[in-house]
Amino acid sequence: TSGRRSARKPAPKAEGPPGRRGAQPGQKEPPRGEPRPGSPRRKPTERTGRRGEVRGQERSAAERTSERRRKGDDRASFKEQRAPPKKEKEALREEETWKRPRKPRSSSLASGDSGGESLSEEELARILEQVEEKKKLIATMRNKPWPMAKKLTELRDAQAFVEKYEGALGKGKGQRLYAYRMLMAKKWIKFKRDFDNFKTQCIPWEMKIKDIESHFGSSVASYFIFLRWMYGVNLVLFGLIFGLVIIPEGYIKYSALFYGYYNNQRTIGWLRYRLPMAYFMVGVSVFGYSLMIVIRSMASNTQGSTSEGENDNFTFSFKMFTSWDYLIGNSETADNKYASITTSFKESIVDEQESNKEENIHLTRFLRVLANFLIICCLCGSGYLIYFVVKRSQEFSKMQNVSWYERNEVEIVMSLLGMFCPPLFETIAALENYHPRIGLKWQLGRIFALFLGNLYTFLLALMDDVHLKLSNEETVKNITHWTLFNYYNSSGWNDSVPRPPLHPADVPRGSCWETAVGIEFMRLTVSDMLVTYITILLGDFLRACFVRFMNYCWCWDLEAGFPSYAEFDISGNVLGLIFNQGMIWMGSFYAPGLVGINVLRLLTSMYFQCWAVMSSNVPHERVFKASRSNNFYMGLLLLVLFLSLLPVAYTIMSLPPSFDCGPFSGKNRMYDVLQETIENDFPTFLGKIFAFLANPGLIIPAILLMFLAIYYLNSVSKSLSRANAQLRKKIQALREVEKSHKSVKGKATARDSEDAPKSNSKNATQLQLTKEETTPHSASQSQTLDKKAQGPVTSSSASNTLLPAPRHLPGSRPPGSRPDSGQPQSQTHPWRSASGKSAQRPSH
Amino acid sequence: MGSRSSHAALIPDVENIRRETGFSQASLLRLYHRFRALDRSKKGYLSRADLQQIGALAVNPLGDRIIDSFFPDGSQRVDFSGFVRVLAHFRPIDDDTGVRDPKQPEPLNSRTNKLRFAFQLYDLDQDGKISRHEMLQVLRLMVGVQVTEEQLESITDRTVQEADEDGDGAVSFLEFTKSLEKMDIEQKMSIRILK
Repeated sequence: TSGRRSARKPAPKAEGPPGRRGAQPGQKEPPRGEPRPGSPRRKPTERTGRRGEVRGQERSAAERTSERRRKGDDRASFKEQRAPPKKEKEALREEETWKRPRKPRSSSLASGDSGGESLSEEELARILEQVEEKKKLIATMRNKPWPMAKKLTELRDAQAFVEKYEGALGKGKGQRLYAYRMLMAKKWIKFKRDFDNFKTQCIPWEMKIKDIESHFGSSVASYFIFLRWMYGVNLVLFGLIFGLVIIPEGYIKYSALFYGYYNNQRTIGWLRYRLPMAYFMVGVSVFGYSLMIVIRSMASNTQGSTSEGENDNFTFSFKMFTSWDYLIGNSETADNKYASITTSFKESIVDEQESNKEENIHLTRFLRVLANFLIICCLCGSGYLIYFVVKRSQEFSKMQNVSWYERNEVEIVMSLLGMFCPPLFETIAALENYHPRIGLKWQLGRIFALFLGNLYTFLLALMDDVHLKLSNEETVKNITHWTLFNYYNSSGWNDSVPRPPLHPADVPRGSCWETAVGIEFMRLTVSDMLVTYITILLGDFLRACFVRFMNYCWCWDLEAGFPSYAEFDISGNVLGLIFNQGMIWMGSFYAPGLVGINVLRLLTSMYFQCWAVMSSNVPHERVFKASRSNNFYMGLLLLVLFLSLLPVAYTIMSLPPSFDCGPFSGKNRMYDVLQETIENDFPTFLGKIFAFLANPGLIIPAILLMFLAIYYLNSVSKSLSRANAQLRKKIQALREVEKSHKSVKGKATARDSEDAPKSNSKNATQLQLTKEETTPHSASQSQTLDKKAQGPVTSSSASNTLLPAPRHLPGSRPPGSRPDSGQPQSQTHPWRSASGKSAQRPSH
Repeated sequence: MGSRSSHAALIPDVENIRRETGFSQASLLRLYHRFRALDRSKKGYLSRADLQQIGALAVNPLGDRIIDSFFPDGSQRVDFSGFVRVLAHFRPIDDDTGVRDPKQPEPLNSRTNKLRFAFQLYDLDQDGKISRHEMLQVLRLMVGVQVTEEQLESITDRTVQEADEDGDGAVSFLEFTKSLEKMDIEQKMSIRILK
């Protein structure tokens, strides 16, 4: 490892000075001047292979901790380190003191009794001393000049202490009991620690995701975390459907995937399992569970984010001083850590840069309007295309022997649109020049509109089809009844022998529109999956291979130039996932097996996409933090969930089910099964209660009450968040005042002693304030002053444009409280007239 | 217990060390074994090369600085008491509820001393200040080659700006303490020594 280390150390010096970020066409060097972690050169399989090797106990423990430190959400490790101490304890069991005990001394005690059950003389003496002390404290408590509350807590502590340790001082039994208790406590703590480790190891794909996070940044990792979460949800849904519907119906065959397979016997088996009822309830609870889990995770996300805002005082200091994990003892992990530190620094730089950007507002505005216009055109175009295709497909469906393409035209067109529109949007969005995080949200919103439009056009077409089928069904039903009637009443049959039931295939059957809908969804899901995988293979992998290997014999640098490697398309992938889920939710009522297919799909995508991203993608040009976009995803998911609930609810409530297939056949509406169960299987008084509850007179007040509660809670949370913001502001202001005071004072004293070295100091802002006191206000100075009042928008001291404005400028108090800013002429466009450093640099 | 103390008696000057560092006998014994294991040629002291073979230090960008901290005043060897004295910074803080004798020096594992240890990792020339230049050097070690010089400089500037309160363009120990105020140093800089 020392070889590796020495190779690393001189490297930064050997690397060229600035400007090496630009592509150097002559050299066949990766364009961004950094080792491409994702390029095929990296050979990801080898990596994982090595990872699997057994390491020394210490090492793996250290790694686990490092993993754990970096886990949590999508923030860099140092953030977690700022988390409240309680969380800390859980997270860092490993290297910390074995959970600092509440009771004093017990660590030293434990060291004594670890060998046997006895305590050393010295330790006993210490305890004795302490116990005496506490006793004295209890006795003199009355006389202490403390507030009552403090006295009470102290008293309680002291009493507990005495009670606890007196046993240790006693001879024989008491001492042994005490030692035993200590031993047990230690065992328990160790058990908890082991259990925590175990829990961390049980988180699936944690290593994979961390690996990706360290190379591609938290935003890409957030997609995979989302994917994992989605997988969990689907697994639960699948369990629900599988356990309650598919298994009871009996052996599983292909058709069990669809609605029409299930029959309408009220009960099956000796347990008298009520399948139609179960089917209905499962359908409802699929939605119920999904809603609950989405909302819950949204709520927990917001809870995490509220406490975060105050911590941005020392972003860079924290990164600088605390980001290395000193327990890393493995060079591969160390590589990852290097990458992740670099990434997190880059993220912060981008954030800083964006908050201080100087730009031509008019041009930007014009470009943004233009971009939106173009995108709306695209959306309209795609909507019309789908409408057109759906109309055509309705014509095809009437015709005989249509070709494969004509049958699947709708799906193909939809998939193609989903494939080509997002990159198009991304190209257009380059015009807008947003911060990448905001840009991501716009992009998500646009693709969302696209997908939504597509999905709903598709649904409307499907509904048309269903209505058509329903009207046909009436006639089929009559024919069927007629056939059956004829069959049973035909003459020439011995009446004493009951007739064998007619085979269903011999009777004219209805079209079973539910199954048809299920098949449509299944087709859509499968084609969507295939298109996704093919896109990854062609668009990412083959492109990467081509770029990588053809680069040796090509006339320009492929890696730096045109095709380059693909970046991981976060927005497209997230939305693909969300809409896929929407389709599953919608379709799962008509095709219970769809969830199973989806589970498989998510599982394969996890591995496939992880592989693809590590092998053939490169990190984004501008890495950025994904802070809280998770909640944005969740919001979209909730919206999609709601939108997919609508059509299902509509069919349940207002479309008659097919008369001869599915668990609800023969009923007027699907929800009749609920009534039927209540009437037949529950005691009558329950039925009455239900009837009472369903009374509109009760439901309307309940809804009203709910609205009131929502309104109330909403206003409460608003006022709380306002108070929160104000407090935060106050703290900030206090800190700044303090800082500026110190800066003035420190400066004054420093000037007394020596003067010279400060003039070349880079952070001119601190100097500014003192200068104002000594020199008369010049024009440039009042400008800078004014700039300071502008707060974070302005650019100031740093010599380069990368990280200009210090957020906590000494003078950024509100103008009223500024003692030295009474210059009216300073109100002219401060940040455009003064170009940063020239106006700022102190001139002495 | 008996055999244990006889082992502990092997350690030279054990009582003094124990008083100074606050380690328990068992921990000292453990550390002594580690010391002996690191001392490959049985010299009775450790050299830089001995410490460099530790994996976690080899991959650590600050590894050299950490090793340096074992060798104050440019000496090339560290004996057991010096070794333990450095490690005492990482002893978990025990909950003395303020009954410590104020005349006694602060124990090595106090929060301030822990912070001071971390501080001197960055303070290369040991002038009590982390200058911009020193920070840049450390940063270079930490991020490797993937960041341009320009960016490195801006990160450094930004860090100094954040932490610097008296406007001298460097981070003093006080400022360092302040910027890590919210950090749970007592927990982070503690190592559990097995018994």
